[in-house]
Amino acid sequence: MSDQVFGSSLRKKIFLAIITVIFVSFVFELSKMQILEYKDYEVKSSNNSIKKIPIKAPRGIFFDRNFSVLVSNKPSYTLTITPAIYDNNKDEIIEKILGEKKDFVKNILYKKRWYSKYLARVIKRNVSFKNVVWFEEHKEEFPGVKITVEMQRDYSFGINGSHIFGYLREINANQLKDNKEYSMGDYIGVQGAERAYEKHLRGQKGYHYILVDSKRKTIGKYLEGKNDKPPVKGDDLLFTIDYNTQKVAEKLFKNLKGSVVAIEPETGEILALVSSPQFNLQEFASFTSRKYIRKLSVDPEKPLFNRATKSIYPPGSTYKMLAGLLGLKENIITKNYAVVCKGGYQYGNRFFKCTHHHGYTNLRKAIEQSCNTYFYKLILDIGLEKWYDFSKKFGFGKKTGYDLGNESVGIVPNKEYYDRVYGRNKWGKGTLLSLGIGQGELSVTTLQLAQYAAMLANFGKTKVPHIVKAFLVGNTNLYTPIKYAEINNNLPVDYYYKIREAMLRVVESPEGTAHNIKLPNIKIAGKTGTSQNPHGKDHAVFIAFAPYENPKIAVAVLVENAGFGSTHAAPIAQKIITTYLDQLKNNASGI
Amino acid sequence: MKGSHKLSDKFDFTIFFSTMLLITIGLLGIFSATNNNPTAQGAFQKQFIMALVALVIFFITYFLPARLYKSLATPSYILSIIILIAVLLMGHTVYGAKSWINLGPIGFQPSEFAKIGFIFMLSYLLTGERRNPNNIKDFLVLMFYSFIPIILILIEPDMGTVIVYLFILIAMLFWSGIDLFYVFVTLSPVVVLFASFFGIAAFLLAMIIVFALLLYFKRNIFINISIVIMNMAGAYLFDYAFQFLKPHQQKRIETFINPTSDPLGAGYNILQAQLAIGSGGIWGKGFLKGNQTQLSFIPKQWTDFIFSVPGEEFGFIGSVLIVLLFTIIFIRLLNIASQINDKFESLVVVGVLTLLLTHFTINIGMNLGVAPVVGIPLPFLSYGGSSLIINMFLLGVALNFYKNRREHT
Repeated sequence: MSDQVFGSSLRKKIFLAIITVIFVSFVFELSKMQILEYKDYEVKSSNNSIKKIPIKAPRGIFFDRNFSVLVSNKPSYTLTITPAIYDNNKDEIIEKILGEKKDFVKNILYKKRWYSKYLARVIKRNVSFKNVVWFEEHKEEFPGVKITVEMQRDYSFGINGSHIFGYLREINANQLKDNKEYSMGDYIGVQGAERAYEKHLRGQKGYHYILVDSKRKTIGKYLEGKNDKPPVKGDDLLFTIDYNTQKVAEKLFKNLKGSVVAIEPETGEILALVSSPQFNLQEFASFTSRKYIRKLSVDPEKPLFNRATKSIYPPGSTYKMLAGLLGLKENIITKNYAVVCKGGYQYGNRFFKCTHHHGYTNLRKAIEQSCNTYFYKLILDIGLEKWYDFSKKFGFGKKTGYDLGNESVGIVPNKEYYDRVYGRNKWGKGTLLSLGIGQGELSVTTLQLAQYAAMLANFGKTKVPHIVKAFLVGNTNLYTPIKYAEINNNLPVDYYYKIREAMLRVVESPEGTAHNIKLPNIKIAGKTGTSQNPHGKDHAVFIAFAPYENPKIAVAVLVENAGFGSTHAAPIAQKIITTYLDQLKNNASGI
Repeated sequence: MKGSHKLSDKFDFTIFFSTMLLITIGLLGIFSATNNNPTAQGAFQKQFIMALVALVIFFITYFLPARLYKSLATPSYILSIIILIAVLLMGHTVYGAKSWINLGPIGFQPSEFAKIGFIFMLSYLLTGERRNPNNIKDFLVLMFYSFIPIILILIEPDMGTVIVYLFILIAMLFWSGIDLFYVFVTLSPVVVLFASFFGIAAFLLAMIIVFALLLYFKRNIFINISIVIMNMAGAYLFDYAFQFLKPHQQKRIETFINPTSDPLGAGYNILQAQLAIGSGGIWGKGFLKGNQTQLSFIPKQWTDFIFSVPGEEFGFIGSVLIVLLFTIIFIRLLNIASQINDKFESLVVVGVLTLLLTHFTINIGMNLGVAPVVGIPLPFLSYGGSSLIINMFLLGVALNFYKNRREHT
């Protein structure tokens, strides 16, 4: 059946049916979307438009032990352009003001042309303050041009401290994956205190919620900022560093390779720490540090390497006091224990040399004049295992627990060690002799030496060496000290007196090896050393503490390839000691 | 029966007020979608003025003598062909189609204006002395006149408008009494092809319907077999035809079938529009309070995606009201078409009805994510002067014919 009638009622019915089907299916679809699936759409729709924008927290800053600023923050000005509202005819004048080449602006905008034109593009960082003022004054003439402030580290306080403070770098993709607190473009501590205390320094980010359109252009605040959270400033660090001492130490090492660590004996507080050559932290303040880091990492002098905590050297004669104390403890060194030094010691078919013909030598003279013959005999009498255990009691052969980390363990050999290196029974007792004078396989860090000096100064008692003593908590500025473990090797004080007296004579006695640094007003106790270096000229070592009666500072100095300790290392220690003691005197009179 | 003197007898208030309400909702939607958007400043004011102009044109076409329109059929058709050729020569390209022409400061779309000539000309041809659509010779003449504008628009290319023209042609042939079997023969490959987009199940269902209708029409076996083969071939050749589409059209069909496949590309508009509508809920988020709309998540929302604005801000209530108002207009127009004594006038009304119905169905279907994005405006609501003026012109003509429904011109 098929009618062929104009506008028949059948055709009208078919038409009406089509209209009805369309109406019903639209109402059906609308009720499905707007009533049944409303919740789903609602959630998706809110995610669409409300953006959580993090506000960076100011990073904690660094103070020395007397609240002098060491490292701070300073604003850095960045010029951005938002193409959607920018007038391209202004390119030339902006280039002129910024002192950039022709087409500088055009090229950057072209390079970033794929981003939404409502997004601000960084044109130049570190814009000078003069230019900032100029753009602020001419704001109206430059629509779309904006100066934004970013905080960066300010290293202009006279102390470099590259191996103490460390530096910041933009967080990389891997770190971002593991650290949810960060977002792209954030800075993170890479070395030193910046890394060790990252969690304290970074503070807590704030957030504000804004409404954005599909082009990510900000429309306004969400709920008038009701849910916004202000950032919390990072904790400030109170360092144990003494500003003047650190500054002098850095200056003394300016043209030397090596390291120095100065410690307050009683507390383990590090007063100065230098590893030389340093790197220039000022270079990291700018945003172009990548090139500098690359340059540093290929530098043969290895400036990024922390020589104070990471390099290991034989301690040389500075290690002799340890053997002396052990000899006393083991009752080997009695009143009449002595050697006759004829310029060396015959052991089996080998002759172990001494520096001079010291003649009759007891403990005091052996330390004062650094007689090797005495300690060759002593170490043979003590034996390897006891010497090994005793070394551990002074913190050698293990990490000190220094708060900034990045430490080497060093090497204190024992039987197992030699068996492993030379093979079982393939090494003779002769190896032991070099250990007695701090040479051979024995290796220590400057930090370990400084801790040892502090223990000698304070009769075996100190605390874990550290460089940060307290936080000034970000939001409250509350002074919160950090506790460090005590160290005590529980030796009778008598033994220490004997050793310390000998150390005093090293400087005070005209025969002493470091008599050249004797001062009229301050009694310094010390010990020179020469660290044998198979790769080149020997390193000069010196440890000391002062004042002798009531030590306030213990120092360990190591100058690479400098020869004898007395001529190169000791004067450095002396200057550091006097600087610090002067500072103490000034502080006392100031209060 | 003598004509009543009541005003409602001469003027269809139902259609008029429904249309006015739709235009008002459209203006609110345009205001809401553009008030925060710097790139569309002044759109509301422009559309408001256009609405006033369209209203004036509506009343002019309503009051002009009904006789006039039949005599306008040939001239308006020739003018339509001229401007459709002109746009190909001197028009400029918007969204990949050369569909706009500038006359001084005013830009307009010839394919919109050509709808008048097309509907008038078809109505005229279908009501002439020897114009029987069931006569093969007459039918071919009809096709010749119809496909000149359709091919010109296809060259632009504006697929959406071509679809509208095809539906107008089919509906008017249908209304003029063409054998339903021919309609079936013409439409079944289109339906089968469209169904094949949705996979094998939809294709088989469409084929079952084809078989059922073949039984209903009771034609001879050879015709039946050739129709089945034609349908199968239609679906089979889909891939081949697909290559002729512009890349953005291919993409639209692909993303229509699976919008989430390209959430930030071509599927973005559909997803964002659906988010806007779905999150509107029953009562809507309130005027100027829809976050999707206010934050311009939907590009050019005030044109083809205008439905998502009331959908979000006035919710289910507002959306259903719009659908209902359109349906009321459609049913009224259908009644008018069947009441009119003059065949030409009746056909014009069916043409107008089909024009509006096609736009309505495709546009809202696209907003709801149940029809492909083919980019045609929602009558009376979407921003755009050409479309609004043409629709009001044609509505004025339809109501004019309603006024004169008892007369033969």
